[in-house]
Amino acid sequence: MNDPAFSRRHLFAGSFGVGALALALSACGAGDPTANQGGDAEGDGDGGGSLRIGVSVYDMSSFITAGKEGMDAYADAEGIELLWNSASLDVNTQASQVDQYINAGVDAIIVVPVQADSLQPQVAAAKAAGIPIIPVNAELNSPDISGNVQPDDVAAGEAEMQMMADALGGKGNIVILQGPLGQSGELYRTEGIENVLKNYPDITVLAKDTANWKRDEAVNKVKNWISAFGSDLNGVVSENDDMGLGALAALKEAGITIPIVGIDGIEDGLNAVKNGEFIGTMLQNGTVELSAGLAVAAAIAKGESVNTEPVYNMPKITQENVDVAIQHVVTDRAAFLEQLPEMTKENLSTGDIAFEGIPGQEGS
Amino acid sequence: MSSTATPAPVQRRRLSREWIVAQLIRRAMLIVMLLVIAFFSYRSLRFSSPENLQNILIAAAPFALIALGQTLVILTGGIDLSVGSVIAVAAMTSAAVAKANPGQVWLTVASAMAVGLLAGTVNGILVSRVDVPPFIATLGMLTAGSGIAYVIGGGAPINGLPAEFGTIANTKVLGLQIPVIVMIVGIVVLGVVMRRTSYGMRVYAVGGNRVAAEIAGVNARRTLFSVYAISGLLAGLSGVMLASRVISGPPNLGQGYELDAIAAVVIGGASLMGGRGTVWGTALGLLLIQTLNNGLDLLLVPAYWQDVIKGVLIVAAVAVDVWSTKRRA
Repeated sequence: MNDPAFSRRHLFAGSFGVGALALALSACGAGDPTANQGGDAEGDGDGGGSLRIGVSVYDMSSFITAGKEGMDAYADAEGIELLWNSASLDVNTQASQVDQYINAGVDAIIVVPVQADSLQPQVAAAKAAGIPIIPVNAELNSPDISGNVQPDDVAAGEAEMQMMADALGGKGNIVILQGPLGQSGELYRTEGIENVLKNYPDITVLAKDTANWKRDEAVNKVKNWISAFGSDLNGVVSENDDMGLGALAALKEAGITIPIVGIDGIEDGLNAVKNGEFIGTMLQNGTVELSAGLAVAAAIAKGESVNTEPVYNMPKITQENVDVAIQHVVTDRAAFLEQLPEMTKENLSTGDIAFEGIPGQEGS
Repeated sequence: MSSTATPAPVQRRRLSREWIVAQLIRRAMLIVMLLVIAFFSYRSLRFSSPENLQNILIAAAPFALIALGQTLVILTGGIDLSVGSVIAVAAMTSAAVAKANPGQVWLTVASAMAVGLLAGTVNGILVSRVDVPPFIATLGMLTAGSGIAYVIGGGAPINGLPAEFGTIANTKVLGLQIPVIVMIVGIVVLGVVMRRTSYGMRVYAVGGNRVAAEIAGVNARRTLFSVYAISGLLAGLSGVMLASRVISGPPNLGQGYELDAIAAVVIGGASLMGGRGTVWGTALGLLLIQTLNNGLDLLLVPAYWQDVIKGVLIVAAVAVDVWSTKRRA
């Protein structure tokens, strides 16, 4: 999943991390009169010289790990130098990382923010230094950002709920597993689910609650719901694949088979679609999305004309097209990464940054 | 019959009013538990079904293992904050082993337990030999372990595990899933060990008064070392059970579980100062938390309200316990 889940442990870990980073930074400042002073940042943007782009991500989640491979592939193909840092879910760490990039005079900064309401001073400083800052995959509330590359979570919620409504023939009783309450991913996906539910008065939501994106929480939650509703329960709508897989484990334990739908298209989720255990999922391919984010940032840094706010529309994955998705995400990654930079460039011109050649995806 | 309010004449001293009040206070936790069960049974017909009882037990099992280890540690006056991370490291290790050796189910269990034992051993050496305060030693392990769990998976969950990995937690013996059986065996064995053996007495002695225990010939360092090792071993076992149930190795598994384990021990009547508490009390405290989780889910109480209710209960349970102890003294 793409949204950080806070926990006491991470607060501990985070505070240690800040200390360590502060040490590292001061050490850097003292001992390493860096070759990259800020002076030439604006100057070399238009020339053939290689771009330097700083990236700060909230954490090395599976989504980001896959995304980094896509970014690296694009950077290699385009001769971009990537500076990479993970904030380990700590807002202050992320702020320090962005400060560091500004001081180093990079050509653009990509952030996958820890929190939507953060980094205000950094965004202002970047603007003053003429360095474009572009949030990718999670929102950053600021009027001063130079671009914005976000997934359409409302559309994903709508599409998964539509799949469930179709599977149930427009009537039945469902439960909804939500992400951590209040996080943007949860809010938008829930909004999408509710948009579709308005069209189906005969679908009743028996229960909806959060399982914090986690399988081990979802398995117990759904087990308890099975106790509460028994055979009245007709379907499980989960806002990510992990919780859907927890629901699947619970239903298997209870010996019940009902439709389940998820979002994200992680390896186990795609396999569940292939086996018919999920009716479908929405593929949020971090490799494609982050590669597109880098392409947009690079274009902005070079001053090229580009749609600065393209939307990532997750393709719908069902049994019909799941094999191609599995190839892209799991089995055939090397080949996929090889053709990714070319595809990313093409997508930038067509505007459909989620296009990766999955059957049914001819949307643009 | 009818409306006579006068109590029956006291025949034996055992039934005196004071005795009853004293018993009520001493058994406060058990009474709360019975009231909770009565309330949920009244509000939801499904609550008392055998299937639902199994739900409570299977949800409790992974917590039970770490709560048992935590009980021993807390009895010595220490604390083990690292169990959540040890669960994550053990789960990731077992998942990695399962992926590399599909079909070798026992190897995955053994590797998880070995990793747990190793982490517990490090904690034990730090506390008993290096004299690092338990809070700090295990806080370090909590932080480092969380990092190691991510290192094992290269920053990502381990997906695509073989189906055999799921048999560890999902096989039923005598109608009960294996984690439930492990939990019951664990409670009974440790319950007997702590009450009936000299090892149990040594743990209580070290926690009650370390100096006095050493004068009496107890090797306090060895006893301290052993409780952290046991706690780590049980956390490792808990980790592989959790990972197997959902056939996945997420590096953030077990996050915050240490707090649930400590809560169960404290609700069960143990003193964080050491020397006082029982395995049975912990089992009761744990079942109370899990019964609340389950019953509140059945009544569709939102997750954030569930947290509020559990928080209040933890403090209330300890407050009643402290108050009743004072009264008895």
